[in-house]
Amino acid sequence: MSRARDTIGTWIGWTFFADLANGLSLTFGYMFSKSVTMQYPDKEKWLPYSRYRGHHFLKRDEEGEIKCVACELCARICPCYCIEVVPYEDEKGNRRPAKFEIDTARCLFCGLCEDACPADAIALGQQYEFSSFSSRDLVIGRDDLLAKPGKAATGGGVVAARLNTQKDVLVETDERQGYNWWRNIRRR
Amino acid sequence: MELAVAIGLIILKVALLIAMLLLLPLPLTWVERKIAGHMQQRMGPMRVGWHGLLQPVADGIKLLTKEDHIPAEADRFLFKLAPILALAPPFVVFVAIPFGESVSVLGNEITLYVSNMNVALLFVFAVIGLEVYGVIFGGWAANSKYAVLGSLRTCAQMISYEIPMGFAVIGVVMLAQSMSLLEIVRAQEDVWNIVYQPIGFFVFFVAGLAEAQRIPFDLSEAEGDLGAGFHTEYSGIRFAFFMVSEYVVMLLVSVLTVILFFGGWNGVLIPLPPLLWFALKVAFFVYLFMWFRFTFPRYRYDQLMAIGWKVLLPLSMANIIITGIAFS
Repeated sequence: MSRARDTIGTWIGWTFFADLANGLSLTFGYMFSKSVTMQYPDKEKWLPYSRYRGHHFLKRDEEGEIKCVACELCARICPCYCIEVVPYEDEKGNRRPAKFEIDTARCLFCGLCEDACPADAIALGQQYEFSSFSSRDLVIGRDDLLAKPGKAATGGGVVAARLNTQKDVLVETDERQGYNWWRNIRRR
Repeated sequence: MELAVAIGLIILKVALLIAMLLLLPLPLTWVERKIAGHMQQRMGPMRVGWHGLLQPVADGIKLLTKEDHIPAEADRFLFKLAPILALAPPFVVFVAIPFGESVSVLGNEITLYVSNMNVALLFVFAVIGLEVYGVIFGGWAANSKYAVLGSLRTCAQMISYEIPMGFAVIGVVMLAQSMSLLEIVRAQEDVWNIVYQPIGFFVFFVAGLAEAQRIPFDLSEAEGDLGAGFHTEYSGIRFAFFMVSEYVVMLLVSVLTVILFFGGWNGVLIPLPPLLWFALKVAFFVYLFMWFRFTFPRYRYDQLMAIGWKVLLPLSMANIIITGIAFS
C-alpha cells in the first residue's frame, strides 16, 4: 500500500518537476553562500602551517653566529645531491661553512637535511614564492639562506596581502596571523 | 513636414533600439559570469574595474584585436555571411515589439514602439525563424565536422520546437482576439494570461529555451561533445556576432514571455512606472535563463526530440482545445 503511494507520489513529483525545482533551489541557496575564493595575489595570501616544508633557511645562535658546523651530513643525506658545503676555520677556531649552496631547482623538499643536521642549523621554512625565469637563480648561497624567513609562527590562515610589482613581483603582507580559511568556508 | 518628422522619429527610435541591443550584451555577460561564479561558490570576474565591472569591455577589446581566422577549406562567402545572418533577425524582430504605451517628451506623445503591426506575432515568428540560417550556414561553411554536427542538431531542434512554440501562443491570440502585441498587452490589464494559460506559458518558455539555444537545450554548441558546435571555427569579431545574437535572442524570448503571459507593462499592487515594471519582469526572466544554465545538465539529442514531439506538441494542442472550449 505504502509502496503504491510512494510510486504515485513520485509520479506527482515528476509532473510538477519536483526534481528540477530541487536543483534550482539548491543553486539559488549556493548563490547567497560565502564564496570559497582566496584572492591570492591581489588581496589575500595563505600562510602555511609550521610543519610546512618551504624554502630552506640557515639559523644563527644567540651570539649571532651561524649555527652550521659544516659537517656536510645534509649534503650526504640529500637524495638529489643539491647541497654543496665547503668548510673553513674561522678566527675562533670553529669549523664553519665558507660556501653553503642549495640548488632549489633540484631539491625535492623532503626535509631530510633538517632531520640529519646535528647542530639544528638548517630547516625548511614557510616561504613558498620563489619561482624564477632562470634555473641559475635558484641556486641559493649561504648569506641568502641566512636571510630567508623561518618556520611559520602560527600558520594555517589567510592574511590580507597586496601585489607589489614595483621592482620585483612580490606578494606583501604585514599580518602575522590569519583567519582560519577552512572553518570560514564551511556552510552551516 | 509632418512626414519628415515621423520618419525622423522612426529613425531615431531604431537607432536607439540598435544601440540598446548592441550594448545590453555587455552587462549581461558580466551578470552571467557573476551569477555563474556565485552559484559555484566562486567570485566571478574581480580584477578589471570594481568587482570586474569593466570585464566585458576588456573582453570586447580582446575579441576586436584577435586574428580573424578563416579555415583554408572553408566556403569563404558563406563563412562571412553567417554571423550577419545570425545577428540581423533578432534585431529585426524588436521593431515589432512594444515596450510600453507612450511617454510624453516636451509635450509630445511619443509611442514606445517602432510600429504597431496588426500581425506582429506572426512577424516575430516568421523573422526569428530566419536566425537558424546563420547557424546552419556557419556550421556548413566552416568545413569542420563538429560545426556541421552542431548545425544539423540546431536544424532539427528548431523545427521541432518552433511548432509547439507557435501553437502555444494561439491560446493567447484567442484570448486577446488580436495578433497585435499591443492589443495582447491591453487585454491583460486586469488578469495576466498566466492565470488562463499556464500550460501555454510552460510550453512557450521551454520552447523558448530551445529557441535561444540555452542550457538545457544548447545542443547546437554543446561544448562537452562538439567543441563549440557551429561556431567552433569562428574567432574574433565574427564570434562576437554569434555571442551578441545569442544574448539578443535570450532577451527576445524573455520580452515575448513577459508580453504574452505576464501582462507586459501592467503592474500589480505596487504602482511603478510601466516601463520599469516591464524591465523588472524581463530582468527576472533573463535571470531565470541564467539560473537554469547553471543548474541543469544538457538533454541528450534523442531526449530533446522526444520532449519536443511527444510532450510539448500534444500539450500545446490540448491547450488550444481547452482554451477554445472554455472561452467559446
